[in-house]
Amino acid sequence: MYNIVVCFKQILDIDQMKIDEKTQEPITKNLPYRLEDLSKNAIEEAVRIKEKYGGKVIGITFGGDQATLGMKEALAMGVDEGIIIKGYRENNPELTSEVLAKKISTLKYDIIITGNASADSYTGLVPGKLARKLNIPILGNAIKLELHENTARITRSMEDVNYVVESRLPVLITVEQEINEPRLPPLIQIMAAGRKPMKIEEMQIQIQSSKKVISNKAPKSDRKRIIFEDIDKGVEEVSKFLRSEVK
Amino acid sequence: MRAMVFSEKGELAAQIATILRERYEIDIYTTSDSPLDSYGAKVVFRITGESLYVDNISNFLADRFKEKGYDFIAIGSSVMGREIASILSELLHLEAITEIMKLEEGNQVFITERFFFGGKTVIREESKARIFTFLPGLVDPMPVDSRSSKEEIKIDSPSTVNVVEKIEKPKGSVNLEKADIIVSAGRGIGKKEGLGIIQQLADILHGEVGGSRPVCLDYHWLSEERQVGLSGKRVKPKIYIAVGISGQVQHIAGMRGSKTVIAINKDKNAPIFNECDYGIVGDLYTVIPKLIENLKK
Ligand SMILES: Cc1cc2nc3c(=O)[nH]c(=O)nc-3n(C[C@H](O)[C@H](O)[C@H](O)COP(=O)(O)OP(=O)(O)OC[C@H]3O[C@@H](n4cnc5c(N)ncnc54)[C@H](O)[C@@H]3O)c2cc1C
Ligand SMILES: Nc1ncnc2c1ncn2[C@@H]1O[C@H](COP(=O)(O)O)[C@@H](O)[C@H]1O
Repeated sequence: MYNIVVCFKQILDIDQMKIDEKTQEPITKNLPYRLEDLSKNAIEEAVRIKEKYGGKVIGITFGGDQATLGMKEALAMGVDEGIIIKGYRENNPELTSEVLAKKISTLKYDIIITGNASADSYTGLVPGKLARKLNIPILGNAIKLELHENTARITRSMEDVNYVVESRLPVLITVEQEINEPRLPPLIQIMAAGRKPMKIEEMQIQIQSSKKVISNKAPKSDRKRIIFEDIDKGVEEVSKFLRSEVK
Repeated sequence: MRAMVFSEKGELAAQIATILRERYEIDIYTTSDSPLDSYGAKVVFRITGESLYVDNISNFLADRFKEKGYDFIAIGSSVMGREIASILSELLHLEAITEIMKLEEGNQVFITERFFFGGKTVIREESKARIFTFLPGLVDPMPVDSRSSKEEIKIDSPSTVNVVEKIEKPKGSVNLEKADIIVSAGRGIGKKEGLGIIQQLADILHGEVGGSRPVCLDYHWLSEERQVGLSGKRVKPKIYIAVGISGQVQHIAGMRGSKTVIAINKDKNAPIFNECDYGIVGDLYTVIPKLIENLKK
């Protein structure tokens, strides 16, 4: 029986994000939110641990107004209890890690699971800071996870080599996309999710980041965009180009 | 100002040293045993120890940072590098910014540039951050005439994490970052055997084969070192040919530096067609053989 805490966040749906042609800035108005990619893998892994070894999964998100939607999805995937902490505004790892640490330190936990890095900001700072604040070891970038009594063992995927590493619980584990395929909960579970406990809390913590955004624009794409729908014509033109470039 | 450079990868430490040495006095710290004494550092410290892991390495670097009074820390961006940056940020109470591709100095602040929104945008920020991780491949390491002095340091404190086993990944010897021509395969090839014609095309063009993340990581049709993208390699060939790749932001982030991009995809609404110079809408199993035939003429 393990007490598992999974941290997840929502992001703007970057796949649907369009760029304003004039300003080169992203258009975020009316863009829907969705669960962040690796957060989903984190939820999936937490639920699998529970299913395999027994235990309870608490899901935590430090989010904005849309957080209930994301939480419902997590509950439908198999998370048992949800805690939403309101007040998230922007990507600020200092604040996010402090808020999560404060909350988690009031809970009983053996394992904390997070994504390795967020799909939108790709900062990857929250897990390490959180582990440090809670003073527990971090097992990072797991593509495989096993528990054995009081020990967690993961396969840690690095750029050119993998390691099998282990540590005693409690521990924070970050997951990589490869670790699992997040489930799509059936309708009946989505309905049932509404009956699971979900707390919405506020926390009074003020941590200002010193970061100021100077600009956030799409890199200029000067691509020619010559598209051929006639395959033979396309093959001929592309071959001509390739022949002129490759000697 | 003085910078502390850390990377467990020799190549990456040499790249960062090449970027910073004109502007700052630097010391390199590394666990790698590649020779790094010709990249302009004052001292190269080689870290050794029985049980090296991110926790005891971070503790050591934090103590060093305070002891030696460095002004900022430049770390190679890798799984380990980002973890160390986050732990150092707590130990030293300094903000960190990861995965940067540019570092400039402003008035009492640093100005950084990094990808945002999964690679769709580049965010330029100023901050009081003092810990940075640098993307790999920003420059080629350039040796200098002078030599750094060398020192070995042993970390004795044990890690709380136990390394049980090292598993080598299947390795080729491909260097996609240096390739002039890359033909990349996406999920659209549908099966591993599809790589046959991709390889044929690459051979005719004297190029290398790359792939999107599903092809390299999920299906293992290609080795991981061939993955192009945000979490793979950032490439800048003269010609990049994307075959059966939809063109999601995380993939584009890795090939945006290409001079000419050619896309082949059967879906004319695939986002890759917004990021290409030449595009052919069609089934790759029709288009590629025709292309090969035409090029052989
Ligand atoms: C944090 C994070 C990091 C990531 N890093 C990377 C990364 O480094 N690199 C990367 O590539 N991805 C990365 N991804 C994944 C990325 O979001 C996409 O999922 C991935 O790039 C899609 O790969 P694909 O284009 O091969 O597959 P798909 O998106 O499935 O596209 C397949 C394409 O093939 C076309 N097609 C199908 N059959 C044919 C045919 N017979 N002929 C012609 N065309 C055909 C289809 O029209 C489609 O456009 C990352 C994701 C996250 C969350
Ligand atoms: N606001 C948040 N609430 C809960 N978990 C978060 C939040 N931000 C980040 N995380 C977790 O930390 C992981 C890495 O995020 P990041 O450090 O922002 O790249 C994510 O995949 C989540 O699991």
